[in-house]
Amino acid sequence: MTDLNKQIPPKSAKIATGAVVCVESEIRGDVSIGARTVVHPKARIIAEAGPIIIGEGNLIEEQALIINSYPENIMPDTEEVEPVTMTIGTNNVFEVGCVSRALNIGDNNVIESKADLGRNVSLTSGSIIGAGCHVNTSEVIAENTVVYGAGGKRRVQSEKPQPQTLQLDFLMKILPNYHHLKKAVKGGTTPVRN
Amino acid sequence: MASLLQPDRVIYLVRGEKKTRSPLSQLYFCRYCSELRSLECVSHEVDSHYCPSCLENMPSAEAKLKKNRCANCFDCPCCMHTLSTRATNIPAPMPDDPTKTTMKKAYYLACGFCRWTSRDVGMADKSVASGGWQEPENPHTQRINKLIEYYQQLAQRERQERDRKKMARRRQCMPMAFSEKYGLGTRLQRQRAGAPLSSLAGLTLKEGEDQKEINIEPAQALDEVEPLPEDCYTRPINLPEVTTLRQRLLQPDFQPSGASQLHPKHKHLLMKRSLRCRKCEHNLSKPEFNPTSIKFKIQLVAVSYIPEVRIMSIPNLRYMKESQVLLTLTNPVENLTHVTLVACEEGDPEDVNSTAKVMVPTKELVLAGKDAAADYDELAEPQDFQDDPDVVAFRKSNKIGFFIKVVPQKEGDTDVLVSFKIRHDFRNLAAPIRPNEEAGDATTEAIWLTHHVELCLGPLAP
Repeated sequence: MTDLNKQIPPKSAKIATGAVVCVESEIRGDVSIGARTVVHPKARIIAEAGPIIIGEGNLIEEQALIINSYPENIMPDTEEVEPVTMTIGTNNVFEVGCVSRALNIGDNNVIESKADLGRNVSLTSGSIIGAGCHVNTSEVIAENTVVYGAGGKRRVQSEKPQPQTLQLDFLMKILPNYHHLKKAVKGGTTPVRN
Repeated sequence: MASLLQPDRVIYLVRGEKKTRSPLSQLYFCRYCSELRSLECVSHEVDSHYCPSCLENMPSAEAKLKKNRCANCFDCPCCMHTLSTRATNIPAPMPDDPTKTTMKKAYYLACGFCRWTSRDVGMADKSVASGGWQEPENPHTQRINKLIEYYQQLAQRERQERDRKKMARRRQCMPMAFSEKYGLGTRLQRQRAGAPLSSLAGLTLKEGEDQKEINIEPAQALDEVEPLPEDCYTRPINLPEVTTLRQRLLQPDFQPSGASQLHPKHKHLLMKRSLRCRKCEHNLSKPEFNPTSIKFKIQLVAVSYIPEVRIMSIPNLRYMKESQVLLTLTNPVENLTHVTLVACEEGDPEDVNSTAKVMVPTKELVLAGKDAAADYDELAEPQDFQDDPDVVAFRKSNKIGFFIKVVPQKEGDTDVLVSFKIRHDFRNLAAPIRPNEEAGDATTEAIWLTHHVELCLGPLAP
């Protein structure tokens, strides 16, 4: 109805074939999801301030929130803010209830339950953000780092966490038995019918 | 307002050797002395040892041998959590045919909290699930053992000399055999022995061991010390590799400064303790032997004998203005209890902390007994107590709500503290009933106990 600043074509989720995305999950904005990624019901992927690109083999569990939101000190609608893309690599695990606003997430990371990542954190690969840890700094977290404990203690582990291939295979078989899935959409935005 | 139910709001005074003040939930009641006891005026004794993760009981002698550590469980050297054993499948050559490989299980230790694994320090995976893990040997064990033996012998010699001196003073009353039999084993002797001897008491040799002379070499002082590495000042610090003080000191044998040398240690045992009244030597608290059971064989806690005062609601308190505070009194015993409240007099030595004047109800309050079946018995008639509505706000089974009037005396930011004494009757069911020739006199004598109670009512209203 209001076409004043809606010159951008309407966005929808691009889901690759082979990805299992449950209908109960909430996906808003320009989100593309790679193959072999499992998105549980009640997971929320919200692209407000820019598109989100999610790679392959990721596991996004219930009540996880991946949000590309406007930085806090900018009001929307005041100026032209360039959309910043959020990239998520392969084989990451977003456990139940975590919140991720980080713009760059590499491969093989595990973000445990109720962890909170700020916008300016960059995870490279093999990191584990422990349960309940809040990481709000603006830094690049080195490879194979484990953040744990109440004070956000850190240590380096010798090997990256195992990819959850077994769990992914199991879920890709079982979830369609109990949930409806969102249909795979290939590339290009489809016009939305009112 | 859950903050009104916090335990440190209502404090009872314990008149022991030292006057201690603590909430009723942390106190014990010796029903033989009819007095409140706190943790500081009872003697603590070790009952049994157990491991907190595998809940395995361990006899005290075995615990002492294993230095109070569990044989099966390990602690993470990084975050001190309990380590769990995980298994992986690795291909290994079959014993019959070296060319073919078969999947064998390999076990490693992993921490669920900080994700530390035994592979991080280079410990190889073991092929057995438990029992394969060894702690690294301390290079100084031999020297330490030798020193301990030498000092054990020294302690034995000193004890014999002391016994000899004591016997000489006692003339001929006590024969030789008695002093050894009543040595430092009994508790009474232990309490009488002075402090310097009690530290060596644990090292005494068993009777009958040979008195061989052990000589130790004195420690040699070295002139040269290992020099610091040359790049000590220029090498950049790898922070994740540096161990924290806590991680370092948990392994006093090695105290490694690098995280790659932190080896897991066996888990410390916890103990169950029993408490004993110092005056009458009766047990106040004796837990069950089984580590999985949280019950007690003997549990003489204060909340099951003394009526408990709790704060229910506090109005806005203003300096020098009288306000009404609603308190509740709960009766823990099954018979009727009469409670009288008495305000503290001027110059009461126990009344040190109060910052407000309090007017307590003068009439005697009657509390119904605790009746466990009252909830289920619908036909029970509520007992009729003539309650003065100015004093008693409500009454519910064994609980009563009553008002006290408080006049804060001190202005400023300090909390308003009031204190008063509660006097109640206590029927001692533990004392043996004197056999009366006329049967039927089954009521036990009631004694009146007085307790000093202090309440913290919070700050004055702004």
